[in-house]
Amino acid sequence: MSSSMTELPTTQRAPFFGIYEKVTLALLLLAFAVPFITRNPLILSQTNLILIAATAALGVYIMLRMDLMSFAVPAFMAIGGYTVAILGIRSGITNVFFLAIAAFLVSALFAVVLGSMILKLKGVYFVLVTFVLTEICQLLLFEAGSFTGGSNGLVGMPAVTVFGFELYENSHVVLVTTGLAFTGFLITAIVTRALRYEFAAIEKNDVLAESLGLACWKYKAFAFAIAAGVSGLAGFALVNMLMTAHPTSFSPLSSVNYITYAIVGGKGSILGTLIGAAILVSATEIFALRGELSPGLYGLLIIVMTLVAPGGILGLAQSLFHRLRSQIGKTTETKNAIQSGGNVQ
Amino acid sequence: MSIISKHGGETLQVEQIAKSFGGLSVFQDISFEIKPGALLGVIGPNGAGKTTMINTISGRLQLTSGRVMLGNKRVDGQSVFDNAQRGLVRSFQQTANFSGYTVEDNLISALRFSGQDRIILKGLLPLLDRFGLLENWNRNAEILPYGLQKMLGLTMALATKPRMLLLDEPAAGLEKSERSNIDIYVQYARDEVGCGVMLVEHDMDLIKRLCPEVIVLDGGRLIAQGEPHEVLNRKDVIDAYLGGADEEEGHYAQHS
Repeated sequence: MSSSMTELPTTQRAPFFGIYEKVTLALLLLAFAVPFITRNPLILSQTNLILIAATAALGVYIMLRMDLMSFAVPAFMAIGGYTVAILGIRSGITNVFFLAIAAFLVSALFAVVLGSMILKLKGVYFVLVTFVLTEICQLLLFEAGSFTGGSNGLVGMPAVTVFGFELYENSHVVLVTTGLAFTGFLITAIVTRALRYEFAAIEKNDVLAESLGLACWKYKAFAFAIAAGVSGLAGFALVNMLMTAHPTSFSPLSSVNYITYAIVGGKGSILGTLIGAAILVSATEIFALRGELSPGLYGLLIIVMTLVAPGGILGLAQSLFHRLRSQIGKTTETKNAIQSGGNVQ
Repeated sequence: MSIISKHGGETLQVEQIAKSFGGLSVFQDISFEIKPGALLGVIGPNGAGKTTMINTISGRLQLTSGRVMLGNKRVDGQSVFDNAQRGLVRSFQQTANFSGYTVEDNLISALRFSGQDRIILKGLLPLLDRFGLLENWNRNAEILPYGLQKMLGLTMALATKPRMLLLDEPAAGLEKSERSNIDIYVQYARDEVGCGVMLVEHDMDLIKRLCPEVIVLDGGRLIAQGEPHEVLNRKDVIDAYLGGADEEEGHYAQHS
């Protein structure tokens, strides 16, 4: 065998975080500045809503890495949110770091137990079971009155504290939400980047991946736990903003919204989830001005988005950018060719 | 000379295995042994149970009875990924790679999932070069010609440092000119990696060229075993391939 090349091609190692992860995390860091720039309650509450929605949608984003569509986000948000409410009201624990860890871990733990049962399912079966899971969770929140407060929910949560300072003001709440969102996005970015080969292999061809030695179920279970933990953080942020944990905050139908944020934003990257949440939450606000037409307008927007941009808003922006760049490239090529007197093809 | 050490592979022992789906028997009472560095050809008309046999030996399907040993470890009933980690690795009849990934990323995936180091690729360099994968190193595997995709899938199996390779029709779909790649591949697996190879194939020229020994499956039974030249001239084998019951197979054999 004659070998014309004796060395492996050296490929530039891609940095751990891609441009989208960096931009996303930078945007979240900027969100910390919002309460210092403005006291406008509308902007503050909008920031809260967008960041909570985006963090919750991460639970969908992570599972979509493996081609699994999860409706379970509200269930894990509820677990995280109620964990924090119960710790705050019953045990008087207000340390924000402790509460965040508890919200993450308790949700993740539930996911490990549930995951062992439902992660064998694929496609529509997985979708269906996660939806039922959210329904059951909703029912339990209403029925387990002594523990969850039933239809009254859990009210009278003490304000969370950081190093002994009480975070009770509107602007403080935004800081807590931003902190939780940043943590959620950072965890998601690290996990999805570190395991990108494994997740991609499970998405594209799990039969081949197993035949090469990959224990797919372990990675699915791990991802499900992380997705649940991050959803738990979103639940914490929501409960902290409302200062109460109530079943209606975690309605099964809200799971559709989280899926929509991830897909309309662009499921190809973590930035899509943030963009999707920002645009759609704002759209809801704008459409609400139209009263009863609001749900219809929202639905119309989603239909148009899926038809026009199956890759989501980010995918659309990407393809536009590429087209623009190649257009500019062609123009300069032509210019150069004309200048050098060569033939223009 | 190779960077992949001659770790010798492991003996595959298949003992009286049988598989049926409900009342439908796919194959039964099949036994054979493949030593490290050895090559066993498996032939038989379509529907003889060859691919199902690979699926059961590799662990994707449960055996109905019998057992499979790799070295002194029982591997039937174990999961596919555990078996692959142990070195019992299969290839696929269709092209098998991760779409949207470059040739390099596909090979890196194979290394990662099997727990191997990048150094393995250096050992595979002559193969990568010969198969045309090196010149397509950074191209999306999805858009490569069929033959290249197939060789990529096979090379990924080799990158896991197998101790026993189960090849499911590696030459199927390859151009005549590309088929010599399979000769080189199998030779490399046997001599350089040192693993045993089970070769399920319809290309009789390839079988005659490569295999010192073949077994013939028909209707789920092992009907003949021995040197290819001798076995392929037996009347029952010719009947199994060209007999009226399997016209499509005759058509297939003519092509190969």
